[in-house]
Amino acid sequence: MRQRLALAAVLAAAVAVVVLLPLAISDYRQLQAAGVATFFVAIVGLNILTGYTGQISLGHGAFMAIGGYTTAILTHDHGWNLFATIPVATVIAFVAGALVGLPATRLSGAYLALATFAVALVVPALVRKFDHFTGGNSGILIPFHSGHWLYVVSWTTAAIFLVLAWLILRGRLGRSFRAVRDSDVAAVSSGINPTLTKTLAFAISAAFAGAAGSLFVLSAAYAQPDEFGLLLSIRLLIGAAVGGLGSLWGVVVGAVFVQMLPVWAQGISKQAPAVIQGLAVILVMFLLPTGFAGLLRRVVAPLSNRIRNAS
Amino acid sequence: MVLLLAAACVALVIGSLVSDQFAEQTVAGLATGGIFGSLALALVLIYRATEVINFAQGQMAMFTTYIAWQLMQWGIGYWGAFVLTLGIAFAGGVALLAFALGAVFVRDWTFERMGIKQAGGGVIAVVIVTIGMLILLEGAAAWIWSPEIKSFPSAFPTRPIRVGGVAFSIQDLGTIGVALGSVVVLWVFFQFTKVGLAMRAAALRPFAARLVGVRVNAMLALGWGLAAVLGAIAGLMIAPTIFLQPTMMDTILIYAFAAAVLGGIESPAGAVVGGLALGVVLNLLGTYVHFVTSELRLPVALGMLLIVLLIKPTGLFGHRVVRKV
Amino acid sequence: MRTALILVLAALIVVPGAAAADPGVSSGSILLGGTVPLSGLASGYKSVALGAEAYFKYVNDRGGVNGRKIDYRYLDDAYDPAQTVQQTRKLVEQDQVFAIFNTLGTETNIAIRDYLKERGVPQLFVASGANTWGSDTNAIGYLPSYIAEGKIYGRYVASKWPHARIGILFQNDDYTRDLMRGLKVGLGKKAGLIKAQEGYDVTQSGVASQMSALKSAGVDTLMIFATPTFAIQAYVAAAKLGWKPKMVVNQVSSAASTMQIAAANAKEQVPGSISTVVFKDPDDPKQANDAGVKLYRSILAKYQPSANPHDVYNVYGMAVAYTAVDALKKAGKNLTRKSLLNAVFNLKETTNPFLLKGVVLKTGPRDHFPIEQAQLEQWAPSGRWVRFGKLESAQG
Repeated sequence: MRQRLALAAVLAAAVAVVVLLPLAISDYRQLQAAGVATFFVAIVGLNILTGYTGQISLGHGAFMAIGGYTTAILTHDHGWNLFATIPVATVIAFVAGALVGLPATRLSGAYLALATFAVALVVPALVRKFDHFTGGNSGILIPFHSGHWLYVVSWTTAAIFLVLAWLILRGRLGRSFRAVRDSDVAAVSSGINPTLTKTLAFAISAAFAGAAGSLFVLSAAYAQPDEFGLLLSIRLLIGAAVGGLGSLWGVVVGAVFVQMLPVWAQGISKQAPAVIQGLAVILVMFLLPTGFAGLLRRVVAPLSNRIRNAS
Repeated sequence: MVLLLAAACVALVIGSLVSDQFAEQTVAGLATGGIFGSLALALVLIYRATEVINFAQGQMAMFTTYIAWQLMQWGIGYWGAFVLTLGIAFAGGVALLAFALGAVFVRDWTFERMGIKQAGGGVIAVVIVTIGMLILLEGAAAWIWSPEIKSFPSAFPTRPIRVGGVAFSIQDLGTIGVALGSVVVLWVFFQFTKVGLAMRAAALRPFAARLVGVRVNAMLALGWGLAAVLGAIAGLMIAPTIFLQPTMMDTILIYAFAAAVLGGIESPAGAVVGGLALGVVLNLLGTYVHFVTSELRLPVALGMLLIVLLIKPTGLFGHRVVRKV
Repeated sequence: MRTALILVLAALIVVPGAAAADPGVSSGSILLGGTVPLSGLASGYKSVALGAEAYFKYVNDRGGVNGRKIDYRYLDDAYDPAQTVQQTRKLVEQDQVFAIFNTLGTETNIAIRDYLKERGVPQLFVASGANTWGSDTNAIGYLPSYIAEGKIYGRYVASKWPHARIGILFQNDDYTRDLMRGLKVGLGKKAGLIKAQEGYDVTQSGVASQMSALKSAGVDTLMIFATPTFAIQAYVAAAKLGWKPKMVVNQVSSAASTMQIAAANAKEQVPGSISTVVFKDPDDPKQANDAGVKLYRSILAKYQPSANPHDVYNVYGMAVAYTAVDALKKAGKNLTRKSLLNAVFNLKETTNPFLLKGVVLKTGPRDHFPIEQAQLEQWAPSGRWVRFGKLESAQG
């Protein structure tokens, strides 16, 4: 009971911070915060797959590209309302995720890593190839928005998807995800179909990335293949690891890390921003091998135990 | 599998006899494939020892190639710099692992004293660290040597030799030779030397190996050293063709990774065959299949690779691992 | 409470009105901003910012422009348009720059174009030769357009080698599409001379197979429309094939430092290569005593000592900074974004020390490509470029 209360308090505080933050920060900072929300949604999605189901993906940037291009094409070529494109992007990315996920369930470890890596490489190449549809290298421009507008849209979307993730993970599906992660064979013996479960995890995870891709393109006001390179997929994986796999508590820290790292790094050194970025990634992973969520577990759990024991 | 490979070889030879262009494309493909294979082999060595894909392998190769360039700038001759670089690469690989193990030890000890329970992050954490190393090494090379492209001398002359109407580059033939040579040396080392056997034991059954007196950590370090040497060879061989740049290995690593997986990530022979096959297929695809325009070359190659994996999920030479509950 | 708020708001509205100045400019300073790749694949181009920065510092030490010192802030976008947008919005909204200047790349500039137009922030001298900058009212390019460059090659080949069998090696990119369009226009009736085209993608590990295919197609005159890494690889691949066509290499890859690397590995293929040139080559022995080259060397040594003086992109940076200073001077003491744009679209510069002698930089209400001419050059066996012929028109 006490723990539930504490949890509610923490959540209420988080909501209050997100709602009130725009009053305190500039429009540009809100734009950056919208970027954090974008990575937040994508990393929650990746975490469902990699953290909860145990399937690595080096290709989630590709699903972001699919979502992003859905939004860009629907608004630019078909005059759709921007908001209406987000659910469509989510659904299309879900389907794409299922299509990738179904064959990928046959693979594991390094083989799965390469297969997803290939997806990350192939999607931008296809975007370039089919240029009458995607604008090719020149990309597709859409109207740009104020930082505040993007903040509200991105964080609202992030909240909706966080609740979705929470509902999925605490339910039966979430339990079968974890069962598959812990052992395929054991999962089968308790009546779970691993292929179906993994494919679903892939699809759901891709759907999150698709929504994030929508937000990403809304922020950039431009969809272009260079935005969705390998580096984006790698940044997502870094964010997921820094946040902590298998837990939603640290994701926001991972999102802030990947969004702000390029900015901080060049603030420290104009000469060699990449050196700072690399060092930061190594150091954080070295000190927090289980990510921020792992740190929370280690620091908060003993603390709350102590409180419980004292009361 | 062997039969299939033999058939493919015969087809290549017949094709080469029939068409000059086919022959030229095949040899050029084997040369780039040899580079993919060397780097793939390095990936396999590390994967076998630690179950980690070392994403920094390409950048390590790039960095050692810069070291060779620097040595030559200081007036050391090509072969002197070559040998010295392989030595530095080996020492660097060993030192890197020793440093990592030491750092982890110090970290765990410190956390323990602070009363914080430490849980390992598993493979993903290590993979992310290698990605961090990739970013770091690329940035460091650009910082130290500038991102501008630099010339790099070749061990072999660039002029062609002509057989009939076909022009073969001596450099390409040399590259193929070095790649195959290093595989043979490595194979002999693993098959017939005590240290090689101990390394295999440490990689396959670390606990059992420790019981019979194999120093597993030392073997690990040796594996990293050897992988760094292989990377350095790949870098030194490819640099005269693609030239020295901090980003020179970005695409090569992707192909090496693909080659390693195609061959079966735990199979050294598979890595080399995978590399050669990939090099040849990429070239022939681009030349003869006109649907495969340049944007599509990589997607089609990767698509074919995925089909191979779906048929054989552990690569051409891999074995299915039977997992116990 | 409410009256207080209204008063504050009124004050906010009145104060900037009274000053009548745009953001980023004060009586003592002008703030310019831009993005370049400081990290990643394209970071070799960052010298365009380093050269410009050095030149601005040099001007500031001599009193600045109309008493104002130029503060030039450049940020890293890693050549990723999404990051260009983020960083440019930072420059505009947080740092309040007066104008965006010298941002590198075509797609990166397209990404911020509508935003800057709506915000009324001029987008000056973008480092891209895409044709699209020729018709903008808030943005202006700097390089001659790629179409113009292609035309020069087309005219040259049509008149010099009327029986050539032309092959093209091109990077799969919009810029080479412009070059090829120009080439066809320049060839005119001789466009049928183009016998083969082979594209490559930057994700490829080399261009050996494309070169082999071009050779097999019987090509004897090769257009290399490629970035430096791949242009060098093309020369080396030709050497490996023992193939010696006449070569034309696009300006993007024609820096002497690039050609020297190629020449060292393709001794028979590189000499005789044709290209165009607009900027002074710091390594040209004929220009060793040129006042502009000397100025370049002294500025770089003093204000950017760690930069490589052989890198022609530093020259580019100084040239574009020189033009920016020129435009700021012309915009007058009462500097506004409007007066600056007005000056930018009515430039006439015949004395830019970093451009080849005789190259005129001119813009007008209907002419938004600043650089008017370029010169052909040929790589001599002695290992350097030799310019030849009269200046060629470089109008889109």
